[in-house]
Amino acid sequence: MNATARKNKETEKFSRIRRIILSRTLVAPFVILMMVCSTLVYYFAANLYDRVESELIRIVDDHRSMIAQFLVERTEDLKFIADANRFESICQQKRLTQIVHMLQTGSPAFLDLGVFDNQGNHVAYQGPYNLEGRNYRDAAWFKAVEEKSVYISDVFLGYRDTPHFIIAVKKMENGTPWYLRATIDTFFFNNLVENIRVGKTGEAYLINKDGVFQTKRRSGGILMEIDPDFSSYQQNNGHIVSYTARDYRGDKYRYAVGRLDQTGWLMVVRQDFMGASAPLVHAVLVAVGLIFVGGAVVVLIAFFLASGVAHRLSMADVEKREMGSQLIMAGKLAEVGEMSAGMAHEINNPLQVMMSEITMIQDLFSDCRTGEPVNQETMDLMADSIDQIWLQINRCSGITQGLLKFARKTDPVVLKIIPHEMIGEIVAMVENQAHCQGITIHQEVEPDLPEIESDPAQLQQVFLNLLNNAIYAVKDRDSGQIRITSAFDDEFILLAIADNGCGIDPDQLKRIFMPFFTTKPVGKGTGLGLSTCYGIVERLGGNITVTSELNAGTVFTVQLPRPGLAKKRN
Amino acid sequence: MSNVQLLIVDDEERFLKTTKTLMEKRGVTTKTAASGEQALKIISEAHIDVVILDVKMPGMDGDEVLRRIKQTYPLIEVIMLTGHGSVDSAVVGLKMGAYDYVLKPCDIPDLMQKVESAYGKKQAMENKIRKVQVDRMISHPMAVFDKDGQD
Repeated sequence: MNATARKNKETEKFSRIRRIILSRTLVAPFVILMMVCSTLVYYFAANLYDRVESELIRIVDDHRSMIAQFLVERTEDLKFIADANRFESICQQKRLTQIVHMLQTGSPAFLDLGVFDNQGNHVAYQGPYNLEGRNYRDAAWFKAVEEKSVYISDVFLGYRDTPHFIIAVKKMENGTPWYLRATIDTFFFNNLVENIRVGKTGEAYLINKDGVFQTKRRSGGILMEIDPDFSSYQQNNGHIVSYTARDYRGDKYRYAVGRLDQTGWLMVVRQDFMGASAPLVHAVLVAVGLIFVGGAVVVLIAFFLASGVAHRLSMADVEKREMGSQLIMAGKLAEVGEMSAGMAHEINNPLQVMMSEITMIQDLFSDCRTGEPVNQETMDLMADSIDQIWLQINRCSGITQGLLKFARKTDPVVLKIIPHEMIGEIVAMVENQAHCQGITIHQEVEPDLPEIESDPAQLQQVFLNLLNNAIYAVKDRDSGQIRITSAFDDEFILLAIADNGCGIDPDQLKRIFMPFFTTKPVGKGTGLGLSTCYGIVERLGGNITVTSELNAGTVFTVQLPRPGLAKKRN
Repeated sequence: MSNVQLLIVDDEERFLKTTKTLMEKRGVTTKTAASGEQALKIISEAHIDVVILDVKMPGMDGDEVLRRIKQTYPLIEVIMLTGHGSVDSAVVGLKMGAYDYVLKPCDIPDLMQKVESAYGKKQAMENKIRKVQVDRMISHPMAVFDKDGQD
């Protein structure tokens, strides 16, 4: 791996650690914060809703009773006048003027006063208009007052273009009725109703039982016109009803509606829904703002903290790796030391033999020089010694070649290999030898094991070596068994050679792949077999592992990469 | 030097054979053993003055053989023969009472010389012991009968 790639990997790891710390430290507080905020907003909204509703109801209630009171008072005024005067006297203009003056002193709402006989004739009038002499027998209000004795009309504009209505009362005098009719200027409660403000957008107005506006509506609604929303108003006799509805334009409003008993008018107070929710919106905006600002601060702090921690972790990681490589280096040096000691022993023994033979030859030579007769025996001894030197040189060269094989980096010849077949061939090579020693080899490699791409010659060397070791390990057993099994995953195939032999001491197990490490007697093993296997398998992109139990058996597992992975490794 | 009784212990058969021939030519009576066990057996059966002992052998190793020889026959001189490149194993041998050590490969005259001086040392030691015994005998003549066979 080159330096840039490693650096990239480190940076990536650093970011990953930081991301993990950040997400873990931030998610929980944020979730809790959101929950707290939404709970608060929910309760605040519910509370606000109730408050707006009760506010609207209170306004309707207050103003309705105020208007009712006004109507009652004016009606009582008229009744009092009717009771206090006889028909003849009230018909006198002077007296009527006096009465009107008196009434206007009591309440400036009185505009005029008219007296009517039982036929509906307007017999006397005090007011700004000339209405005397007309007959109202067929007028709606006259019919109503004949029947009910008190009548209050709906509001109308009249000639003055100011909203007003009439109150008429019936008076029985000696079995004959006469009537008093007063025109009332609604200025008093009109302003009262029109000027009601609830929040910024709240408004109040009156409509009669047919849906005609009795007062102006600020958001659009001209006096005496029909309210387009009339059909949507809910009412419940004398009770005030509160509800939320859309008006004819589609705007949403909070409503409170109550009916005036005397006239059947509806007192409507409504507030734009958004206006009613304004404090809530405000609160939510503040909360969201706080969450964002606070969140940003928290994220910032967490970011720096996480960076710090991640930085420290990656520093520790680097240190650990450095330590690791130092340990590996120390281990390698120890290995080299052990290896050279082993090699010295392996080479020095044949050298010692050669030394003796040379001394032997020298002895024989000097005997010849001194003139002793050269007989057949001397010649044989010399030839024997020379042969022996030849033999020992071969032994040395075998050792050095084995060592080279372990270290040499030859390019593997990569071919497609079917593991089942390869193992079969190798087992065939050793089966005879094993059979002679009473050892059974169970070949349990699955035929459908995936193909691999590797060097068949080198793998053959590896498996032969492992099998020979296994045979050596079980040769003293009564029923020696060697079992070759297989497995595979996405990346590797596994071939395991298990024996039930003598096992390997845990101390020795650590050094088993080391060159020149052997448990066999001198001359029987060079200590290069397993180290060579190890080198080969590593170069082929796999690895080789061993587990062993003393007196129970040993398992060597060779892991070989499946196609496509070998190249990556190299 | 003609009466040195030498024993060579090594697991290389050929080395034993050739060295025995060479040593005998030089007037040293030589026996050979291919393992530690065999060596101890020979020592217990025959008179041996000097042992040349290979340190690394299968089975009982050189150090163990040396320990046993020194335990039972402290007068026998042992020359350690080591194939390892280091002298560490030789130092262990010297501490346990070996006379000297030789690194493989060594030439035969060298080895011969060490055998001779080892034998010389053994003879000197034996002479000293004999002298002490003689002195004792002279001062306490009767003690010969009491302590005979204990040296």
